[in-house]
Amino acid sequence: MSELYQVIYCSRNRIPGAPDTVSENIGGILARSRENNARDGVTGGLLFSDGCFAQVLEGPMEAVTAAFERIQCDERHGEIVVLQSGPIAERHFADWSMAFTGTRALGAGKVAGLGLSDTLTTRSGGGDTVLGLLRSVVVRETEWLESV
Amino acid sequence: MLPYPSQSLPFQPVDDAGPDDSGEARAPVAGLHLRAALDGLEAGLVTFNRTLDILFVNSRLRSMLEIDPAVAGGVGSLLMLMEASAVLSTTVVQQVHEACQGAVDTRTPQEVTLAAPGARFFSLRVGGLVDRHWMASFTEVTAQRTAEAQAVERAKCDPLTGLLSRTLFHDRISVLLDTGPDHEPTGQPAADPPHPVRHAVMAVDLDRFKSVNDTLGHSTGDGLLCLVARRLRSVLRQHDALSRLGGDEFALLVSPAPDRTVLDQLARRITDVIGRPYLVDGHLVNIGASIGIAVFPEDGATRVELLRNADLALYDAKAMGRSTHSFFRPEMDARAVARRLIEIDLRKALALRQFELHYQPQIDLERHAIVGFEALLRWRHPERGMVSPAEFIPLAEEIGLIVPLGEWVLNQACLEATHWSEPVTIAVNVSPYQFEDTNRLVEAVGRALSLSGLPGRRLEIEITESVLLRNAEPVLAALHRLRGMGVRVAMDDFGTGYSSLSQLHSFPFDKIKIDRSFVKDRDDDVGQNAIIRAITALGASLGMATIAEGVETAGQLERIRDGGCTSVQGYLFSRPVPVAQVAGLIAGYNQFQPTPAY
Repeated sequence: MSELYQVIYCSRNRIPGAPDTVSENIGGILARSRENNARDGVTGGLLFSDGCFAQVLEGPMEAVTAAFERIQCDERHGEIVVLQSGPIAERHFADWSMAFTGTRALGAGKVAGLGLSDTLTTRSGGGDTVLGLLRSVVVRETEWLESV
Repeated sequence: MLPYPSQSLPFQPVDDAGPDDSGEARAPVAGLHLRAALDGLEAGLVTFNRTLDILFVNSRLRSMLEIDPAVAGGVGSLLMLMEASAVLSTTVVQQVHEACQGAVDTRTPQEVTLAAPGARFFSLRVGGLVDRHWMASFTEVTAQRTAEAQAVERAKCDPLTGLLSRTLFHDRISVLLDTGPDHEPTGQPAADPPHPVRHAVMAVDLDRFKSVNDTLGHSTGDGLLCLVARRLRSVLRQHDALSRLGGDEFALLVSPAPDRTVLDQLARRITDVIGRPYLVDGHLVNIGASIGIAVFPEDGATRVELLRNADLALYDAKAMGRSTHSFFRPEMDARAVARRLIEIDLRKALALRQFELHYQPQIDLERHAIVGFEALLRWRHPERGMVSPAEFIPLAEEIGLIVPLGEWVLNQACLEATHWSEPVTIAVNVSPYQFEDTNRLVEAVGRALSLSGLPGRRLEIEITESVLLRNAEPVLAALHRLRGMGVRVAMDDFGTGYSSLSQLHSFPFDKIKIDRSFVKDRDDDVGQNAIIRAITALGASLGMATIAEGVETAGQLERIRDGGCTSVQGYLFSRPVPVAQVAGLIAGYNQFQPTPAY
């Protein structure tokens, strides 16, 4: 078992269309990533806020690298900024192939006031905030998915 | 040496090979040592007569072709012998038979490569020995053939990324161009002009790849190239060809090419996806891509033209800044040709003494006196006249000529300055490239001073901020060594770089030269003036003099003076003049004192 590795990035949404189209797409992304991650031993969380994504990926280095590469080739987002990356002692999302939280108003709403757009613009900080936020709200995600 | 009896056959039937229909007398049977020598040969040999009856078989042939020992006695027909081989297939036996029969019938040597089962290959040569005797010689060439096949395979694919090699990529373009427009089955009447299929070649170069390789090692660099290859593949259509030409150069062939708008989108998509972050061996890596695009047929009718023009467009993209793309334009070609011509001349210009220095005076605003001159390099080309430094300095930097050229300037400026009537300073520009070998630069300055006898304090070297942005430590050490010789150091083009203010604190510069862009008249004079005042105040607080360059009008001079500059240079006072006019300029200026000419 290779050592555990974690990467946290954020990026800007490029899915065009109405909020419903966007949430449909995100639903698809989630389903796909859960399938891949369960297979590869990758866990993590995805956050959608302020028109931007933030994602945590953790697992064996090769598997995280492969998942990260797949995500880089996806045209549905852009302006990717890695907030932090490196080895970790233990998983933060051990029970989640991909936890999710997001706002209902996908265009401009912010989860817990998190201005990811600013993080992207200034290209600084945010890794710990994203991580903490995702861990705190992970429980509510299933409710949100059911509501859309 | 084998003791061949003269007038005898080199190969004699050792076994009784049956009747010889020629009726000629048989030579004596050769000795056992000859037979041993023949058996020891690398090649398998069999000699036969006109009816393809065997005369002699060496033991190498038996082992090579695994011939049944029962048949290998050397009696019978060649065909029987071959059929007794466990190695040759029926088809191959037939080939051997045909080759031998051919040699007999046509009386010309035959040569054929035999492909035996199990991917074994034999080279067969059949030739006449003397009248009515022939020899077939077999050599196994399996190893060579395998190596050749592998070489061909290697030429196809880049072993690292699995992409097409340069050779195969070139082949793909050639094939397309040959069979493209002319052979396109259009079903149209011949009178209709053909609509050529368009193909686009994109030359892709990675930005900052070298630094990844240098800092993280080749293994990480190789890993990165593989990821780049996959990202490129992910944006292309299945049938578009993708190649790694070598190093961090990639190329792709988009065929049939969509219109320019779509190509433009594709290029943007590539720079976007390549510019996204990478995780390689646990390292976070960021690189970029520059792209040059040439489209067949309008940008080139042949493969060579297309590739060259895609490269020209790539240079253009790189020159525009990183992570962008350019379509080929015909003027790029003209520019490249002009550049090559000037490069050839530039390499000779130093030896042919075509360079000269012109001097522009620097005037102290309080003392109303010429306090120094800036040495400016001029190239007097025999046919083109004066060539602009803006045209040849970047080229000299690129081809590495700037270092000897810079040293020539130092020597010449110091030498000429020793002849002037006033002990004014002489300012010499030093290129960032000269700072790449700081020891050489410091030695060159020392040599220029000692050869000319000019006191160090009269020499002022002007550097740009970019020098301090890279390798600040050795550069600062060099500046301190120069200072140790008494040489003064000025910061040139101040205000144009990014981190101007912090750079000023890194070294106690003697002088700050305010960039001409702040002197130029613009709508926003108030803003310009505020900047000039800020710089002069900063200079004063740090004990640095300030000089404004490019002063052309009395109005500008007023603004500069109000801004607090200590000295100026510009056309308002004098254009740069040849050395012969320097003495007159000094004398003339002093003569008009204390009422200045402006």
